[in-house]
Amino acid sequence: MWGGEGHIRSHWRPLMEAIEKMGIAAVKKRYGDTLRFLRENGVSYHVHAGSSHRRPWEFDIIPLVIGIEDWNAIERGMIQRAELLNLILCDIYGKQTLLRERILPLELVHGHSGFLRPCVNMPFPSSHPLFLYGADLARGPDGRMWVIGDRAQTPYGSGYALENRTGLSRVLPGLLRDCKVRRLARFFKEVCDGLAELSLQRNDDPRIFLLTSGPSDQTYFEHAYLASYLGITLVEGDDLVVRDGKVWMKSLNGLHPVDVILRRVDDALCDPLELREDSRQGVAGLLEAMRLGNVAVVNQPGSGVVENPGLLAFLPSIAKHFLGEDLLLPSAATWWCGHPAERDHVLANLDKLVIKSIHRQPNTRPIFGATLSQEGLDAWRSRIRESPHMYVGQEQVGFSTAPALVSGNLEARHTVLRCFLLSRKNGYLVMPGGLACCAALRESIEASGEAGGISKDTWVVSDEDEEYISLWKQPGLIGEVSTGSGLLPSRAAENLFWTGRYAERCEAVARFLRTVINRYNLVQEGGEAQDTECLNVLLRSLASLTSTSPGFIGAGSSSKFRNPANEINAVALNLDREGSLSASVQSLVRAAFAVRDRWSADTWRIINGLEGIWGRLQAQKGASRQAILSSLDELISGLIGFTGATMETMTRSHGWILLDIGRRIERAALLTNLLRSTVIHKHSEEVERLVLETVLTASECLITYRRRYHTFMRLDTALDLLLLDETNPRSLIYQLNRVTANFEELPLERSETRLTQIERLLLDATTRLRLSDLTSITTPSDTEEDYGRLDELLDLTNQKLAGMATAFVQSYFIHAQAPTQLAPTIT
Amino acid sequence: MKYQITHSTHYKYTDAVGTCHNEVRLTPRALPNQLCPSSLIDVTPVPSAILGRRDFFGNTVNYFSIQHPHNELRIIAKSEVERLVTDIPDFSASPAWEDIRDGLRKQTSLEALEARQFVLDSTFAARAQEFATYACHSFPPEKKFLPGVDDLMRRIHSDFKYAPGTTTIATPLSLVMEQKKGVCQDFAHLAIACLRSIGLPARYVSGYLETDSPPGKEKLAGSDASHAWFAVFDPNLGWIDFDPTNNIIPAERHITLAWGRDFSDVTPLKGVIFGSGKHKLSVSVDVQRKG
Repeated sequence: MWGGEGHIRSHWRPLMEAIEKMGIAAVKKRYGDTLRFLRENGVSYHVHAGSSHRRPWEFDIIPLVIGIEDWNAIERGMIQRAELLNLILCDIYGKQTLLRERILPLELVHGHSGFLRPCVNMPFPSSHPLFLYGADLARGPDGRMWVIGDRAQTPYGSGYALENRTGLSRVLPGLLRDCKVRRLARFFKEVCDGLAELSLQRNDDPRIFLLTSGPSDQTYFEHAYLASYLGITLVEGDDLVVRDGKVWMKSLNGLHPVDVILRRVDDALCDPLELREDSRQGVAGLLEAMRLGNVAVVNQPGSGVVENPGLLAFLPSIAKHFLGEDLLLPSAATWWCGHPAERDHVLANLDKLVIKSIHRQPNTRPIFGATLSQEGLDAWRSRIRESPHMYVGQEQVGFSTAPALVSGNLEARHTVLRCFLLSRKNGYLVMPGGLACCAALRESIEASGEAGGISKDTWVVSDEDEEYISLWKQPGLIGEVSTGSGLLPSRAAENLFWTGRYAERCEAVARFLRTVINRYNLVQEGGEAQDTECLNVLLRSLASLTSTSPGFIGAGSSSKFRNPANEINAVALNLDREGSLSASVQSLVRAAFAVRDRWSADTWRIINGLEGIWGRLQAQKGASRQAILSSLDELISGLIGFTGATMETMTRSHGWILLDIGRRIERAALLTNLLRSTVIHKHSEEVERLVLETVLTASECLITYRRRYHTFMRLDTALDLLLLDETNPRSLIYQLNRVTANFEELPLERSETRLTQIERLLLDATTRLRLSDLTSITTPSDTEEDYGRLDELLDLTNQKLAGMATAFVQSYFIHAQAPTQLAPTIT
Repeated sequence: MKYQITHSTHYKYTDAVGTCHNEVRLTPRALPNQLCPSSLIDVTPVPSAILGRRDFFGNTVNYFSIQHPHNELRIIAKSEVERLVTDIPDFSASPAWEDIRDGLRKQTSLEALEARQFVLDSTFAARAQEFATYACHSFPPEKKFLPGVDDLMRRIHSDFKYAPGTTTIATPLSLVMEQKKGVCQDFAHLAIACLRSIGLPARYVSGYLETDSPPGKEKLAGSDASHAWFAVFDPNLGWIDFDPTNNIIPAERHITLAWGRDFSDVTPLKGVIFGSGKHKLSVSVDVQRKG
């Protein structure tokens, strides 16, 4: 921020003056607003790859500001570097002149884990297999930007940058305009166009897909965000299949051709046949399909080979060789230890240098020689001597800092900027901005998402206004291009089905818990004997509804009835307890997160809110019943909101239909379960009336019942409403009718004469229900202890529902088959 | 010497497999001392296409996929090979092993450049101190390179027991070293690891050995299935083969299929199947001398 002689650099001035004018308190308030916006949108970053724990996005409201002149120099340098790395990539996997002419040492390439031998001589989808490129920059002691790292496989961060900008522009809209901050939208429009062009080489109706490594990836948020922003279908490896040398997406209505894949799966995981055999993220046969020229994958698998700090030592001579130019952007002086003289230099100066492995490995960070003890230095020396070609020594550069707002104070923090480039016909295009990241600690020189850094927006400020760019396709340009966003991969279909089921389960369990706790409170405050008896019925029913046995049913239940409070709490809040409300909320959020790209911003905010409501309650040790009750109210409102949002914002396409089928099947199953665990048992008339009233309350039918039947609480009239009333959206017959109607909308191979298994089950359940004589089956015979014939009807319906759920999974979610490796033939 | 080779691989699945993708390396290489006038691969059920290409090491790979449910997969590779008799080169003309270690980078030939990749670690044959220690006894200072390799081969043959069934592809080399037993694959990997551990280039060779022992000649081990050995690079003589399982320099009774850094580069048959059951594998190899 500071120029020579302590003056604020001119491009920072408008921002700093604005902050001064607003006052630090107002800035803090705006910061809170931005953070809330980002968190409500679920912007997250996994701390550990593979863990399901999502870390909320850390964000600093003070952007990194770069003046247009500085930026122009950065842009030129970045374009040159991208062109150069692309040429190197093409050469390594093509003619190999750099190796043959000994400009690059063989060990540096062949010893690098990113060098994928099956990719050598594979055709490139365009002259620029390095379609997207990311570089990390930091401001060096000379005031210029230095390159400190290259990302060529699946450079992440552009989506986060966009979301940071969106968040900031909501709270500081005027400032962004006044400062003439360059917009990001055009870059993403070009990404769309670039992808479409890759496929235009093949046919006129390209199908573009974003291949994600799945919800457990630390940057999955961004995969889903970009897919929905760019309007392309998000798929996982299991959604794709290779047949006849072509790639296809398994969707609800069969196989759809795939022309272009923008991948966010690591190089080595792209194809379990030819690359890493244990990969579950890739597509078997993908490389063969690429060789046949039937699919374009960007970036080309194998691109990781240029993510090699050892290359830095050779870049100047390669730039001369390929471009006849000097490098425009500096990087730290680097010695590759594979050459004896360089190795000796590194060994002799290890205490002053930074030690890096030539390939990025998980959980390895650069080692700062200056921080090592004598033993540490010796250990590294012997490691380097053992495999010298695997290491580089790098000069430690004192990079400069940028201001950050930390706990209400402006502080100087080490800051790294990740820039993004895209290859287009006329050359590389640089995103005007980027993802800046400042160190989490004041002293720290490491600033990255992995190291717990704090992200910030990057402003490229110019003197000129910029014209507004929309992502909507311009008619006449590539207006005919349709991306595959209307398609529903079968994995997404399954997740929507489960989202529907879990949403319904959460709502039903939450309602029932609320009823139970209210009844419990009544008993505690000195209820009558029938209140206690009714409570006991409800507690058993709670265990049955949630399948949390042993608990109020099963071994040891009698002690739980004497003091039910702990068990009620556990069924509500214990995440480790299968079937608990907490576990259901978690399953709902997981299923919804796996189809993150399918929800509108408002719908996602609701889902995120649900996790928040219940998470806050879980975090309290020994939450009071009152606290649980009020959170239950909030949760139920949230779930109703979610249902409303899906009703009102989702088109009635296959996705919505599956969501609704899931919801209906679950509601029907829970209703039969509720009735079987409550009203079929005979009790005294008073207790039976109480139980019936509670069941009607929990089913949201009490008001309707009262309006219709006034004060007569009778089993047959209640069941009329709960089972047979086709106009009651809570009744069993209503759910079956909805499933039938929905099912007719789904594609399936149907025979003219024969029913499918699902149709048969539906027809059976519906007919049986319609034909049942409620008066007869609710008239107890004296020999029976319970309403046996009613129980039989409900039990049969329940079995049909379970059969339906299984049949749906088998008929529609065809990705379920997992790949296995054949045992190798050995001697 | 002419041979007719039949290599049959049979997978039986407990449950039907919906789709499979396979890669086979079962076509013998054409070499100055080995001709391969014909090589056919027959797959049942019949795939829509079998696509051939050369892999990174120049081996022929065939890719195929079966796209309908099947309960078994049979791959039969039939090849005719003519193995030409060549003289075993004079090892005594070989330079000192240190000259190979230090001189490879100064060599200007493309072959020498490519040989450098075989000094580096690979999945199944990575350098380690224990292998360097074992190798050192065969490579005292100034020892000539090829006689040193010959000595290493002899020591592996006498120190290790050929014991089929005691190791699998997942057995680490350090365990082979400790147990002092294994099969041809382990001995080849061990020799390669030893040589790489002292900075020398060595590669893995997969192939076959003549099945019937001619009258008067002893039957060689490893002849019931495919075989494996290793080769080293001498800048003057090129690549020279060594068979540590039998302690011989491969000649007309060895037929080369493919080579690479280790077994993982030349796996005869690789496959990914989509199905839930288990599979059972049986392999048979027949090498018949013709005429």
